[in-house]
Amino acid sequence: MIATYAPIFLILVLSSLIAGAFFTGASFLGTKKPTHEKMLPFECGSESTGGRHVKLSVKFYLTAILFVVFDVEAVFVYPWAVQFRSLGWLGLGSMFGFLAVVVVALIYVWKKGALEWES
Amino acid sequence: MGLVFALSPLLIIAVGALLLMMAEVFFKQRNGLALGATLVFATAGAFAGSIWMVGVENLPGIEALSPWLITDRFTLFFDMILCLGGALASLLAGGYLPEHNIDRGEFYSLLLFATFGAMMLAGSGDLLTVFLGLETMSLGAYALTAFRRASPRSIEGALKYYLLGSFAAAVLIYGFALIYGATGHTDLAGITQVMASGKAEMPLMLMALGLVFVGLVFKVSGVPFHMWTPDAYEGAPTPATTYMAVAVKSGGFAMMLRVLLTVFGDAQSMSWSSGWPPAMAMVAVLTMTVANLVAGRQESVKRMLAYSSIAHAGYLLVGVVATMRSQTQASAAVMFYLLTYTVSTAGAFGALILCGSRGAEAVSYEDLAGLGRRHPAAALPFALFLLSLAGIPPTAGFFGKWFVFHAAIDGGFYALTIIAFINSVIGAYYYLRVLVYMYMREPAAGAPVAIPMKSGYVTAALVLSAILVIALGLAPAGTLDMAVQAATHSAG
Repeated sequence: MIATYAPIFLILVLSSLIAGAFFTGASFLGTKKPTHEKMLPFECGSESTGGRHVKLSVKFYLTAILFVVFDVEAVFVYPWAVQFRSLGWLGLGSMFGFLAVVVVALIYVWKKGALEWES
Repeated sequence: MGLVFALSPLLIIAVGALLLMMAEVFFKQRNGLALGATLVFATAGAFAGSIWMVGVENLPGIEALSPWLITDRFTLFFDMILCLGGALASLLAGGYLPEHNIDRGEFYSLLLFATFGAMMLAGSGDLLTVFLGLETMSLGAYALTAFRRASPRSIEGALKYYLLGSFAAAVLIYGFALIYGATGHTDLAGITQVMASGKAEMPLMLMALGLVFVGLVFKVSGVPFHMWTPDAYEGAPTPATTYMAVAVKSGGFAMMLRVLLTVFGDAQSMSWSSGWPPAMAMVAVLTMTVANLVAGRQESVKRMLAYSSIAHAGYLLVGVVATMRSQTQASAAVMFYLLTYTVSTAGAFGALILCGSRGAEAVSYEDLAGLGRRHPAAALPFALFLLSLAGIPPTAGFFGKWFVFHAAIDGGFYALTIIAFINSVIGAYYYLRVLVYMYMREPAAGAPVAIPMKSGYVTAALVLSAILVIALGLAPAGTLDMAVQAATHSAG
């Protein structure tokens, strides 16, 4: 089974050799004339302004993570709905159990005020 | 009905966690949450005990779940250890959190969720449930480590733990993927069958063994995968440290025994010449030696206890190596050791909590100087738990070490046992150093003195652990017999 993958391995080795040869060749053979202008950080042709760190409100993070949680919940519900009949009462019970857990989480974030944007 | 009964410990923990979450948001009063969490742990432990009494063989229909979740005596024994550890941690939190002004109810829900994961880990019958349990347990532990939000040390410890932990989990699941590729099964029973028949792809399986080994050793903080432990343990609020040292470590060992003894339990993987035992023995020796040498040099008692918990993982790994020769005896010794380690460590951290109060946590040896004279009621239990950790005879810790070393000698691992023995002598040095400070030193003039706090919760936790430390030290036979039964059933 390993032998099947030998050509892929060969390509991997060859491609890294060629890429490596080009890069080292360029850095040894190419001429370099560094000027002050060339060494400046490049950003869309205009000079960069402002600090490097931009502070974002933690509210964005909270909203995004809550969205992911309840979105993933929907991902579970879809295949369940498609297979609803074949899963029977056990499937119904399991889904209600799952939804109950998510509802508890929803009540929790609601009462904690995580859904309020202003404040 | 048998199925619901068999799952009842897990269900009680899960429902309890959700109820506590609701209690936290709907009621302003937080005093009762610790008691609630303790009761949930006690109920779950009691149900695990009653399933043990009824006997899993008398519960029809539980095979339906066994490809994913196994309910056998091994699971139940670990369920009881984990519930005990969780109950002790939540009692300690009930005193510690209000005292240090970080009283938030989420602590107890997180404890319960993490324990849910650990119990799932103990009962897992499939690589997928192993991973789910591991992640549920670890996520709770990461959040608990970061619980002191205002403290940079807490955040630093949590970040280190989280990054290294997720990396180790990735390595572990890579190993699981290779196991699936090599055998075509994710259920442990199926993998065991394929391995026994010799039809598995051997080079793949060997790589898988290496990766899984790293993941397993990381979770029990064996050297050289221990780097996160001291920082995470020191940064976390002390009840969370207790929980990590006690329950997360037990969960890690449950996973290690389950995975190594089933997936890599065939004659070839368990042999000294071509399997994991020599690597595990190396890790055990490194873990004991490095942890003991570094622990002796610590100035902070909390950090010393963190290294001590690494050292104890080393002794436990000696027991895991010994499963090679006598599977039942050695796994029973490991399980019994985990129980004695749980009560002694929870007690030691609890006594450390008791010695400090708001704004002045007892941290260094100096803080404890003269405690034996000033506050004998706080110093005495501390001394008892440290003696138990050191393995001095009438305590539980002695019999824990005794059975593990006995299993190692019976298996013919003489060199390993001698190294472990020398290490436990080195270990006694730093445990006794605390006693020396408490009983034979006086605080330097003008130095800040830690004043013990007053809390019914912490006292209750200390009394409970002290009773168990003494009871297990005086009469270990009955509990050891239970451990042997648990080990026998998992081997079959």
